Amino acid sequence: MADLVGIVLVSHSEQLAHGLRELVLQVATPDVAVEVAGGTDDGSLGTSYDRISAAIDRADRGGGVVVLTDLGSAVLTTRTVLEDRGDEHPPVLVDAPFVEGAVAAAVLAGTGADLDTVVAAATEARDAHKF
Amino acid sequence: MPTSSEVPVVLPAHLHARPAGALVRAAAGFASTVEVVHGEKSANARGVLGLMGLGALAGDTVIVRATGDDAEEAAKSVAEVLRTAE
Repeated sequence: MADLVGIVLVSHSEQLAHGLRELVLQVATPDVAVEVAGGTDDGSLGTSYDRISAAIDRADRGGGVVVLTDLGSAVLTTRTVLEDRGDEHPPVLVDAPFVEGAVAAAVLAGTGADLDTVVAAATEARDAHKF
Repeated sequence: MPTSSEVPVVLPAHLHARPAGALVRAAAGFASTVEVVHGEKSANARGVLGLMGLGALAGDTVIVRATGDDAEEAAKSVAEVLRTAE
């Protein structure tokens, strides 16, 4: 099997990011790399350029990386990180609901699906109904 | 020659997050397209959110429908995951 796609969760809240990671790993296989970048460098509410970049490094196992964000500046900071990094195979920032997108992406990543398929699954979460 | 196979399952537990995740993993091992049908709704077994959105509860009957070269094995395996879900 090819290398699994990794997932990065970017949140203003360290607790929210860790809580979502815990939930995601219950639904997906634990061998998917789900890495968090929550809060600022000192752990207060906000986003951290350095934490996001480090989480991308940890999540990258060779199969590509999908990044999900919670709100507003999480998107802006992530975009800046991605531009500055200039990766040869850039991580993909997905426009999707944080919880649903992360669960959908991680479950498919756990099946060995490729980056495009995992991105599509996360994006489809925008149209998913809870009931 | 693609074939189609349907297996009904009476759910022992609600089709919630963890069983839905297990179902996606089981279905991914087959080439066939797998769907789960619950009443008038159906969901592709690649999408964990769609499966949860079926609203299938313990005691409900769902139909696992597979289409493809390995349809019979796919439907059987996925049905087994549902049958043993907690």
